[in-house]
Amino acid sequence: MSSYQKNKQEFDCADIEEYVQQYLDNVLDEEKKRLFEEHIEYCLPCDKKIEFERRFKEIIRLKAKENLPHETIDKKLKELLENLS
Amino acid sequence: MVTDKQKEFAKLIEPHLPSLYNTALRMTHNQNDAEDLVQDTLFKAYRALDQFQKDTNFRAWVFRILVNTFITAYRKAIRQPQKVSYDDMEEFFLYKRLDETVTIQEVPKEEFLENLFDDDVKEALDNLPYQFRLVVLLCDVEGFSYNEIANIIDAPLGTVMSRLYRGRKLLQRYLWNYAKKRGYITDEFLPKK
Repeated sequence: MSSYQKNKQEFDCADIEEYVQQYLDNVLDEEKKRLFEEHIEYCLPCDKKIEFERRFKEIIRLKAKENLPHETIDKKLKELLENLS
Repeated sequence: MVTDKQKEFAKLIEPHLPSLYNTALRMTHNQNDAEDLVQDTLFKAYRALDQFQKDTNFRAWVFRILVNTFITAYRKAIRQPQKVSYDDMEEFFLYKRLDETVTIQEVPKEEFLENLFDDDVKEALDNLPYQFRLVVLLCDVEGFSYNEIANIIDAPLGTVMSRLYRGRKLLQRYLWNYAKKRGYITDEFLPKK
């Protein structure tokens, strides 16, 4: 990391682009998180993008799940137990 | 006769079966193979149960076995990683494309996401190269942390992050391409000008 970045007082739109995924996964350190949130507080275009990405993550989770019926799970578990030795 | 060990294992594994099955399905692309993969995983987990340290993360432990079992079984098929172009792997890909094309700006861009079919999302995921698919599934669908994923796939944290971020960007690109192909980008989603 450059000394310029280390001493950064505020984030610009490029920083938001760089850290968006880490922000959404909640792995940014406290300082970067604070700078990130300060920026999206006043930058509406960035705020909108972040909201979209947040929703994107949720949609992937919701729509990629296979809803396995309880009966199927119970059946599989029973089969498994019978076959374990 | 069901032994105590079997009962203990059944109790441990039951809450994770839907997740294991779901991940197996996305990795193998079909139900029969997914069932075989889960079955093999469970046998291995059962046999190795003594090695599992109580009070550690059972879910991550069993997913690690699933991933290893998958890689062993599909070694041939996955030996040659698919070539992926990283040229236009920009951040906010979908958002920017929608921004360029949506004429009625009042239509929230999130609506595009809501309108995607489950099958579109599953197909897009299925088309991701397996290294990316695995990490996206583990993080975004199954909710594992970066550290847990690093442990499950036996890779450094940096690898997890770069695969995850690239995987998500690719996913957006695939979904955008489906949307265009299937005609979702019409009418109110017309190009500007």
